[in-house]
Amino acid sequence: MDWASDSIQKVEKTRAERMKQAPPVLSDADKDELLREFHPDFVGMKRPVRVGPNADDQEFPNELADLLEADSPLPEDFQPRADIETDVLIIGGGGAGVSAALALEGSGLTVHLATKLRLGDSNTVMAEGGIQAALGPEDSPRRHFADALAGGHGKNDPALLRALCEAGPSAIDWLTGLGCMFDQNPEGSFRLRSGGGTSTPRVLACRDYTGLEIMRVLRDALVQGSANLLEHHSAVELLDNGQGLTSGAVFWNSKTRRWVTVSARAVLLATGGSGRLHFQGFPTSNHFGATGDGLILAYRQGCPLVHAHTFQYHPSGTSYPEALVGQLVTESIRSIGAQLLNKDGEQFVEELTFRDVVASAIIREVVEGRGVKTPTARRGVWLDTPMIELKSGEGTIRRQFPGLIHRFERYGIDPAKQPILVYPTLHYQNGGVSIDSDGSAGNVGLWAAGEVTGGLHGTNRLMGNSLLDITVFGRRAAESIKNNLPKREALTLAALARFREELKSLDHKSSETSPILFPKESGMKLEIDAGEGAGTKTETSSAQQETTSYEPPDPFSRPA
Amino acid sequence: MTPNKVNISISGKTVQASEGETIVRALWAAGLGGLVEVGCAGGVCGACTVTLRFSDGRPGGTDLACMRAVEEGMQIFPCPVETQPVPAPQTDPTAEKIRAAFPTLDRCTKCGSCTTACPMSIPVMDSVLRMQSENFEAVAEDFTTCIHCGLCRFVCEDKVKPHHMGMWVRRSLGMSRDSDLLGAGAPPDSFSEKDAEKEWDWLLTADPDERLRRATSFRETGRL
Repeated sequence: MDWASDSIQKVEKTRAERMKQAPPVLSDADKDELLREFHPDFVGMKRPVRVGPNADDQEFPNELADLLEADSPLPEDFQPRADIETDVLIIGGGGAGVSAALALEGSGLTVHLATKLRLGDSNTVMAEGGIQAALGPEDSPRRHFADALAGGHGKNDPALLRALCEAGPSAIDWLTGLGCMFDQNPEGSFRLRSGGGTSTPRVLACRDYTGLEIMRVLRDALVQGSANLLEHHSAVELLDNGQGLTSGAVFWNSKTRRWVTVSARAVLLATGGSGRLHFQGFPTSNHFGATGDGLILAYRQGCPLVHAHTFQYHPSGTSYPEALVGQLVTESIRSIGAQLLNKDGEQFVEELTFRDVVASAIIREVVEGRGVKTPTARRGVWLDTPMIELKSGEGTIRRQFPGLIHRFERYGIDPAKQPILVYPTLHYQNGGVSIDSDGSAGNVGLWAAGEVTGGLHGTNRLMGNSLLDITVFGRRAAESIKNNLPKREALTLAALARFREELKSLDHKSSETSPILFPKESGMKLEIDAGEGAGTKTETSSAQQETTSYEPPDPFSRPA
Repeated sequence: MTPNKVNISISGKTVQASEGETIVRALWAAGLGGLVEVGCAGGVCGACTVTLRFSDGRPGGTDLACMRAVEEGMQIFPCPVETQPVPAPQTDPTAEKIRAAFPTLDRCTKCGSCTTACPMSIPVMDSVLRMQSENFEAVAEDFTTCIHCGLCRFVCEDKVKPHHMGMWVRRSLGMSRDSDLLGAGAPPDSFSEKDAEKEWDWLLTADPDERLRRATSFRETGRL
């Protein structure tokens, strides 16, 4: 990082002094102003959608609004006929879907779990910092609730949030019983850390690979169970019985390039987030498949979205080297003492306040000309990782954050010795499909769990609450499905037909189809093989014609 | 600033790429997105395994296409690894139990291919030897960063399954941990249920603004 040596020298020079310094603390009014002036949710490009259950009632980022108003890739004359009949269809192979499938073991129900990529390819596997549960001596589920509600700006659905916080300890017990190994203190108890916005230590972790640990254990348990796996099956449409009851789904098998229709008595939507839509041109820490498919599917069934105009921009996405741009640097790095600094080596924000505030403060530094510019014209601020070694002893970073070291060492950067450059990265879909505390999406036959849902986290999620969300609500939805299993219903595309009628009223139609299934930057497309079966025309989605090598430019890194 | 261009080849097909970008991004830009499978694009799912060769004679090897930057003359070959059924973990693991679950454990000839193949720098072969001698805590530590890409199993000529065994050891140990000692399960609540319910009643007040004010003040002490 020779190109930044002047600035790094300033960081090194001020380090000893800063060790003794308290961070600048913002008043609540200052935080509100910072969010209003710099957070992408407030200043980004957005517009209302004109069709569907949220028509004209709120604004969505343009990228999402375009997809909500887009047509389905299914041919007009598609006739759904069941290729597979099952009791429970789970759509999504991440933490929420797999937790649900495990909770259905032993129920006697036939379960099919469909996933667009491979089992476990998800945002879950990429989560680093940890999972919250009220297990500390000064803690309680009520305190957990209060922290998350304050972090979510009071917008959280209180019933959902209470269910989450009360289930924290038992969720950890469940994961431990499956074999998850969370980090321990020397005497053997769980090590609990603070996270941004926790008022007492509450975050359990497995180094900086917590999501990987949880996902690989869940996946291992699942493949030893009885659920039927449908890998490389992308859901493109939900089916209903003609009277608003969900009865199955149509998939596109990306290996055979054919449609596959599944009839199910219950459908659980666990399709995750949408960071790969690159709202406002931001890079993302999300996995390859995070294209918001579930939002689109539920929306066409008439399910309203809640808080789906708010997204979490994680304060510390990698800004250099180019190959790692957007990748997460866990919040735990700040929990154990690394400061955020501008190009002059000055601290500008309290590192452990809420994520949206920290991200906005970083954007402000950059917009006002106090950021660092990389050789590829990206911008960022320093995360002073060597401070951790000074505070907690040499070797701490390597021991506790092997993932961070492994990624940066490839590119000749040693975070134990050099600060790393970070900038907010699109990380989490705060809102989504509205559910009740049993995971029901309000449409008989349809349940939803995990990142695809909204309400639980309000408009800003705390670190460690999403891994808890998927384990708690995946299993709650499964319990509810067991107890309220509808009977098998007819397969129709009535909801889609209604939606298509609505689309006809629009003056300007979107040229895209949705869900897009693959991120635009990949250039990959939904293609149907000519041959027998339904929808025999060769179809190419118009959604992904343009390919770009780099992420789109970030409008917030405009010069001062 | 426009990045410099380099020439790489994928399965024998030459394409131009931008210096500094990953193999995955280079393939996307070249319209060859489907050639190498991608799961996370962040180095933790193990989908994008490839083998590499270099035109300057340096030894090639295996890596993750989403983490490796392209360079001039790099030759890339997709190397997807199929998943396999795995035996279930068992509480209180022993050398005898792991040998029963994985009969090929002792076939290891210490060639070291697995260690060389691992994109996460896990000392795989050493860890297999530790499995043989029941040094399970060390094995669990070794496999902390395992992404189950399967390359160690793929390159093993003797059908040893290091990453499956690593998972078996970790889950078996994890399941055997003392839940009481960990503090898992029960919140450290000395409060009676009635008092807890009082706190909930206060926090769950119907007025959203008041609810936020109460939550904010409750955070300070964690008590009413």
